[in-house]
Formats: sequence, C-alpha cells, structure tokens
Amino acid sequence: MSQTSPKPDLPDFPAEIEADPKQLPYDKEQLLRFFAAMRLARAFEEKLGALYRQGKLLGAAYLGMGQEATSVGCISLLDKGDYFSTVSRNLSAWFYRGVEPGHVLARWFGKDQSPSHGRDLGLFLADLENYGIAPFHNGSMAAWIPTGAGYALSFKMRKQPNIYLAFTGDGATSPGDFYEGLNFASIHKLPLVIIAEMNQFAYSTPPEKQMPVKNIADRAPAFNIYSEIAYGNDLFKVIDASRRGIDHARSGNGPALIELKTFRQRGHGEHDDMSYVPRELREFWENRDPIRMYRRWMIERAEIPALDIERIEEDASHQIERAVEYAEALPYPSPEAVTERLYAPSPHDPRAEDRKNIFEPIENPAVPSLTATKERSTGGHF
Amino acid sequence: MAQMTYLQAISDALRYEMRRDSNVFVLGEDIGAFGGAFKITQGFIDEFGAERVIDTPISESGFVGAACAAATTGFRPVVEFQFIDFIACAFDQIVNFAAKCYYRWGIAVPVVFRGPTGGGIHAGPYHSQNPEAWFTHVPGLKVVLPATAKDAKGLLIAAIRDNNPVVYMENKFLYRHYKEDVPEGEYTVPIGVAALRTMGDDLSIISYGATVHLCVEVARTLEREGASVEVVDLRSLVPLDRETVLASVRKTGKVLVAHEANITGGFGGEIAAIIAQDAFEYLDAPVMRIASLDVPVPFSPPLEMAMLPSVDKILAAARQLLAY
Ligand SMILES: Cc1ncc(C[n+]2csc(CCOP(=O)(O)OP(=O)(O)O)c2C)c(N)n1
Ligand SMILES: [Mg+2]
Repeated sequence: MSQTSPKPDLPDFPAEIEADPKQLPYDKEQLLRFFAAMRLARAFEEKLGALYRQGKLLGAAYLGMGQEATSVGCISLLDKGDYFSTVSRNLSAWFYRGVEPGHVLARWFGKDQSPSHGRDLGLFLADLENYGIAPFHNGSMAAWIPTGAGYALSFKMRKQPNIYLAFTGDGATSPGDFYEGLNFASIHKLPLVIIAEMNQFAYSTPPEKQMPVKNIADRAPAFNIYSEIAYGNDLFKVIDASRRGIDHARSGNGPALIELKTFRQRGHGEHDDMSYVPRELREFWENRDPIRMYRRWMIERAEIPALDIERIEEDASHQIERAVEYAEALPYPSPEAVTERLYAPSPHDPRAEDRKNIFEPIENPAVPSLTATKERSTGGHF
Repeated sequence: MAQMTYLQAISDALRYEMRRDSNVFVLGEDIGAFGGAFKITQGFIDEFGAERVIDTPISESGFVGAACAAATTGFRPVVEFQFIDFIACAFDQIVNFAAKCYYRWGIAVPVVFRGPTGGGIHAGPYHSQNPEAWFTHVPGLKVVLPATAKDAKGLLIAAIRDNNPVVYMENKFLYRHYKEDVPEGEYTVPIGVAALRTMGDDLSIISYGATVHLCVEVARTLEREGASVEVVDLRSLVPLDRETVLASVRKTGKVLVAHEANITGGFGGEIAAIIAQDAFEYLDAPVMRIASLDVPVPFSPPLEMAMLPSVDKILAAARQLLAY
C-alpha cells in the first residue's frame, strides 16, 4: 500500500519550537509542568501498548502518541469551572488536570474504580466534580458537539464566565451531530470551543476522503464562528491559537473552532498496522515529535538543566510502575453490582401505599367514533 | 379542581413547574412566540422569557444532546418534539447518552422528552406513530403515557422532578377530545403505579394511553351484557406496576392486552410474557393481544381505521375470551 500511495503534500512546519522563552509568561516550574503531563502520557501509552501486545488488556488499545502538545496546550488554558471532553488521543490532558495514572489503568483493566466501577472503558472518563470532564455519548463520533453546546448553554443561562472545550478528530467533523450542535451553539452564541485535531487520518480515511475542503477550519464560515489554524506539535503555537479561540468564546461572542495540524503516530488502535500511511508522511511527522521538540527547546533555548528534565522522566517511569501495581491489586466489581445504580432515586418513585387506592374510573371515555363527528379535531396540521 | 382538557393539563403542569423551579426550562421547535404546533406553550414566552422558552433550529439531535448535557448541571429541561415521530432523529443522544449516563458515571440526567403520539387523525405515516417500545427496551429510560387529563398533569410534574430521563408520550387525539376535573396547583402521580379504570372479575383488559378509553367503552358495553371487566391503565411502562397487573390477572384469569402501537415487538408482548411466567396457573384462557396491524400508519381513513385498534376489535376479542 505505502509504495503505491501518492507522495503526500507536506506542509512547511519547522522541526523545532520557535518561541523565544523570554517572551513567554511561564516560569521554569510551569514549563516543567507541561513537560511532566506530556511525558507521563507517553510513558503510560508505551506501557499500555506493551500490555496489549502481551495480551494483558481487555479488548483493543487506542493511543494518542504525537498529540500530547495539542492536549496539554489547550487544557492549560482552562479556568476554574470550565468543562471539557476528550477523544481517545488526549490522555495528557487528563494528566495535566491531575487524573491519577493508577485510576486510568484500573479502568483499562475493568477494575472496581470510581466513578464508573467497571461499567465503561478505560478510554473514557467523565467526572465533572473533580476534573471538569463532562460525560457524553462516547460511541458515535461528534455526539459530544450537541452535549458540548448543552454545557455551554448552561453556562450562558447561569451567567457563568465559563467555556466548554471539545477535543474533536478530523473525521468527527463529518457526522450530522457536528452540524446540529454547532449550528445551535452559534445561533445562541454559546461558549463552545472546538479543538479540531487534524491528525491526518480517521481510522484509515485521509482528509481528502473525509471532507470536500482542505482544512477543517474551512467548514467554519457556514456557522459564522471564529476559527483559525495552527501547528499542533508546537506547544506554544497551540496555546496562542487556542487562547484566542477561548477568549472569543468566553467573551460571549459564540463558538470558536481551532484546527490543530498534527499526526497520529500509531494506528487507529494497536491492532492497526498503518499500512495505508505513506512513509514520507510518517517520517515528516516523526521528525516533529511534540515531546522531543519541546524537550530540546527546554534545554537549548529555555536553559532548563537537563537534570530537572531527567528527574521528571524517571518520575514518570515510577508513576507507571505504581499504576500497574495499584491497578492489578484492585478488585473487579462484584457481579451483584451489575444491576445497581441504573435509575437515580426520585421524589415520586412509587411507595407501597400508592397502590392502596388505584381505582380512578374514567367517566366519559374519549373514543374517536363517538367524538370525532361531534367535534372537529384541531390537531393534525403540520 | 378545574375543568381542563388533556392539553390544558399538560400546559398547566409545565407552567406550574416553571413557576416553582427556575431550573426547569423548555425547548423545541416553534414553541416561543408561536406557542408550539399544538399550542401547549402558548403564552409561555411572555411569562418566562426567551431564556427559558427556547426556540430551536430543526436539529433534534442537536437540541436533545444540549438538553441532556444541561440536565447534568442541575437544570431540568423539557424537550418538546413537534411530533413524536421526529424523536427518531435524536435517538442516538437519548439511548446512548441520556439513558446510560447515570449507569456509567453516576451523573444523573433529569430531562423530559415529550411530544404528541398517535393516529386516528389522518396525519399519515410520519405524524401518527406510537414509538414507546423503542424506548422501553432501553434500560435507564422511564416511559410514561397518560390517558387522562389528571394523569397528564400528575405524571408530567413527576417526570420533571424525576432524576432520570423520562419519555413522556402524549396522545394528540386526546389533546382536545378529553376534558375532566383536574386538581389545581400541586398534583403528582407516582411513576410506576397503574390505575384501575373499571373493576371486574371476569376479564382483565390491560392497556395504556388513548386505547384505555376504547377499553372503558368496551367494559361498559360488556357490563350491560352482564360481564364484569377490569380495565388496567398502566400509565407507566417503565417502571411497570407488575403487582397491579398480576393481581388483576390472578383475580380474573382472562387477559386481553390492548395498545395502539403495532403488534410485533410492541409492549403488549412484554405484558403477555410476564403473565405467562408469573401467573400461568391462574389463566383460564390464552392471553390475547389487540394492537395496530404491522404496517406504517396509512393516510386514507379506511386504511387507517383498518389498521388501528377500535372498540369493535377490542370488543370482539373480549367476547371471545369471555366465552372461552
Ligand atoms: C458515528 C460513528 N461512526 C463510526 C464510528 C467508528 N469510529 C470510531 S473512531 C473513528 C475514526 C475517528 O477519526 P477522527 O475523528 O479523525 O479521530 P482520530 O481517531 O483520528 O483521533 C471511527 C470511524 C463511530 N465511533 N461513530
Ligand atoms: Mg483523525
């Protein structure tokens, strides 16, 4: 396959981060914090891939390698009370928010870990209270755009200065829900920010078979919303563009769509051999690995001691070891729990005494043949 | 008490809950200044403003998804489908998001999906359906179908206060054809308790929604002929009042299940199965079902009448059972 595919049209993104550290508002601690979340996600996913190949995972493994800068850059801009949702490529965003690697791995193992207690995949997480991670229907692509509009709607109705940030793959901009949700959000000027990660594939489908336009951002004019395109493997370009989109939405001007050009380094899942990915494309993006570029920039441009960086790398390995121990030791949910927590208790749930007097006769039944001749129905007009 | 049509009772419940709780809001197509296709929300925009009476674009999946999300943040949205048929466009958000969210994450979704169901008004295949069984099959949803104005009010208020997604199906024939005394102000009907519309010892007719009225008419007719018929109005399909159903069957030993939705895969099959399993020894005759024929709802009156259940069809089946 790779030999026969046409030479890809490669963009001219540099293989280094260009920002001048002196022009940035970040101290050393913050720069290392970005790195720690990206590096931890990379280490976690390397482990997850290994567990998959050893046959120790339940089902498939989906990794987000190569998209750590898009995830961490955007998430670093959220304010208190903002909500967001991720797709399968944004593990580093969870880690930046403080989600425990052990808890994530326990979910991958199907263990009794809150809040899902083994009911949903490790790939997904919803926890509004602790992390601002919103629930949505993770099955159908773009189902989170209508719900994202709903979270944005509730912020607007409550006059809260918050935004909803929705990571979205390129392929997920094709289903109808993308249009319905964004159309609704734009009409009502809702603070919805779509971070569209153009990672060059939707499973095996390249953008030219996914959309009749070159960029996802080219879809934005139809919704009359703010949009821009940025290089997604340069952390600071991600932050710049996303900040403008978030500010736009937070100021009450309606949705924004920020398209980040990046690359899915692994297959759709670990079962996918990526034979459809042209070699030139792969090499181009491998030379632009967001973590490696950032690491080099920290040492060469920001003059951060290598020792500090190595300490974070070692810590990531230790955290992964501890995560495995934690997840393995945790019990599975008990089978009896399978029918629990299906319906939330409600004030008008039936009580035994409600069945004591259930004789409520209908005195004058409404029967079509008995009434239709007497009265003309005013229904039925559409 | 005040005389209200079924439709007025729905409006009354909505208005009462919107006055009581600022977290309740309504959204749907043409529900603002226009007051909705059937005028359920007439005047609402003047009282509650456009912030709480939200006109939506024609995007059922879009605004249903939005309502479900808002529900997880403490709002209690009530979504109006102009006709319940278009709930199909929002199916994914309802069955895959709303229904499963609490089970997956412990995050409750207190949202109500309401809209007009039912045929008999010559509205054709897309404005006449009874799709309740699509939703009774999905764990996590509650499904209620009021047959009276009192229940329309009491069940809607209970549905709005319920912490789960509730599919509340109205019958558009009953909107302006049924009127009765309805309690003013606070009035609720628990979700999951059936009502007896007639009491009797010879035959149980189990029904819900507008078909209950046909069954009452049948019971009256048979009463004049000396038979004693009990009409059980389920009111809520999920949760189901099995207790009342089984008590009635154990008393009469003969069961007819009647609903307007078409027969195959209809909720009547579920009722029959429960009875077969839990009341087998009490039965003196096979459980019979009367429902619509398995075709889309046709437009032309003779076709539509042939398809829908009627007093005559229910009566014939009931006589057959009584004679068994
Ligand atoms: C409506 C729907 N159709 C098909 C799928 C199967 N599917 C899961 S992920 C995926 C590709 C998604 O591509 P993209 O949005 O670009 O995200 P990426 O995987 O590249 O991050 C497909 C086709 C689905 N989940 N939902
Ligand atoms: Mg993609």
